[in-house]
Amino acid sequence: MKKLSAFLIIFISAFLTSCQQGDFSYDDTPQGNLDALWTLIDERYCFLSYKEKELGFSWADLRAKYSAKLNPKMSRVQLFEVLCQMLSELKDGHVNISTSLDLGRNWSWKEDYPENLDTELRQRYLGTDYHIGSGLKYTILPDNIAYVVYESFSDAIGEGNLSDMMSFLQLCNGMILDIRGNGGGELTNAERLSRRFTNEKVLVGYMSYKTGKGHDDFSEPRAEYVEPSEHIRWQKPVVLLVNRSCYSAANTFVRNMKEMPLVTVMGDQTGGGSGLPFSSELPIGWSVRFSASPSYDARMQHVEFGIEPDVKASLDESLAASGKDSMIEAARKLLTGQ
Amino acid sequence: MSNSKWFASLEGGRCGLLLSLLFLSASLLAQTEYEVVPDRAPSSRAFLLGIGRTNQLDTYLSPMEYTGLQVSFLLQGERMTRLAHRHISFQSTFHGVFTSTENPAATAKYWGGRLAYDAGWHYHYSPLKNLDLKGGAMIGADVGFLYNDRNGNNPAQGQFSIDLSLSAGAGYSWSLWKLPMQASYQADLPMLGMMFRPEFGESYYEISQRGVGHDLVCAHPGNALSLRQFLTLDFCLRRVTLRIGYLCDIRQSNAHSLKYHDISHSFMFGIVRHFQLTRIRK
Repeated sequence: MKKLSAFLIIFISAFLTSCQQGDFSYDDTPQGNLDALWTLIDERYCFLSYKEKELGFSWADLRAKYSAKLNPKMSRVQLFEVLCQMLSELKDGHVNISTSLDLGRNWSWKEDYPENLDTELRQRYLGTDYHIGSGLKYTILPDNIAYVVYESFSDAIGEGNLSDMMSFLQLCNGMILDIRGNGGGELTNAERLSRRFTNEKVLVGYMSYKTGKGHDDFSEPRAEYVEPSEHIRWQKPVVLLVNRSCYSAANTFVRNMKEMPLVTVMGDQTGGGSGLPFSSELPIGWSVRFSASPSYDARMQHVEFGIEPDVKASLDESLAASGKDSMIEAARKLLTGQ
Repeated sequence: MSNSKWFASLEGGRCGLLLSLLFLSASLLAQTEYEVVPDRAPSSRAFLLGIGRTNQLDTYLSPMEYTGLQVSFLLQGERMTRLAHRHISFQSTFHGVFTSTENPAATAKYWGGRLAYDAGWHYHYSPLKNLDLKGGAMIGADVGFLYNDRNGNNPAQGQFSIDLSLSAGAGYSWSLWKLPMQASYQADLPMLGMMFRPEFGESYYEISQRGVGHDLVCAHPGNALSLRQFLTLDFCLRRVTLRIGYLCDIRQSNAHSLKYHDISHSFMFGIVRHFQLTRIRK
């Protein structure tokens, strides 16, 4: 009995001391929060090696650089600013600090470039009797060109919406699919729409995810294909209008459509954002979002900083004054062969 | 172990309502040359409710430890079998847990739930008159979830595991002011199993595309050191057997560079019913 009791006491004591602690041993102090954020990005952000090379910074050096801006008595607002500055070095729209004070962000991918979109002008082309199929707005222009606007991949589109739209537009000579200003949303919506523009299974890219804390610990890239829809598919030329605000799922949609034979991508370079985001948090309680799973194009190249169009086009302000959207007009010319 | 020791409260005569009915039926049937005989050893069923504190960590969702409230229920049945000259008992446990915890800064919450079923067999040995020692094995399955009310793209974690555990315990019976009482302790230590754990940065989208096959991990004390300890005291009040107890449930894993733990301490209380199946013999 004594031996059994001794064994139980030793076993339970050993067990209780083996209980694991959280990943962070950082205090809720300015330095503790900066260290926690730095470590989070160091271990989990999926573009660190790529961005260090492309943007010319060293993540290790940034820890010291921004630690020097801290002091123990600084306010929450000041700490927020320092942490946001550190994250801004990544130039990633999927990286944010979310607090009750503000949303920390770097939107230079769209703010540093011409918008190439005038929504009032776009509305003129749609008119007032356009159709609305969930997130899709569409009409037929006078030269028998279908004009479709999709403003956000967060707006769900069902197979029924797409089939009804394709049926309505089937006698048109071509389609302008305008996703300018589309900041992303659900990848499933992007995939569902892509499937209407191919008759064959098409390799559109690759995707992987982090398997460990090392900067280059990634899973084997998984090939991504777009398979033809079993419903009505579009068989005529398409011009996909894009601008710098096409981000995240919209960027992935452009990546997919670039591989379709009848599609011409026209406009400005897209905004990018090819990492699937994850959420985490800091000891102070602020939420942090970051890119966790990278996707690539069909040639295994990064599309994090955007995708070049097939045909460059921009919004002509002088033409806009006369009520014309130069990008839509360029697309119409391409489709009608004028 | 004798049945009389195992069910000390029955032996006390205060909770033996069913036993009395058994004798009454037997005497009535004896007049028509039938008799009622025990068919199986006595068994017990316990239904307990619990309330306590829990500490949760799931680094797929957050690197911070969340703490808060846990409420639970526990259904536990136990009976002696005919195996090894009635020295082996069968125990089944159904445990349901609901948790609500928050991060240290109180800016985010976890909502969690878990259902676990365990079936075990114990060999009993009585070195002393009122002391019962037991040891054996259990097999069990767990399903659950943990939901973070703030995360956008990774808001929840699913939990699934099956395991084989070593189990040991002890029971001691005595009387206090002529009231039969029994104290019991049992510890279950998972030794081998299978658990679902996503890879380090694997998104739901990737899990849905690649399947969960590569997310099933062999669980053993090296990567999933867990332990459940249950200390109870049974006592009778009038004709009811009451049970109070302390349940310490420590579940941990460290796989795919992701840490998980759920460490809970609960006060349990409820009732125990003892009964015996019978058959009629001509």
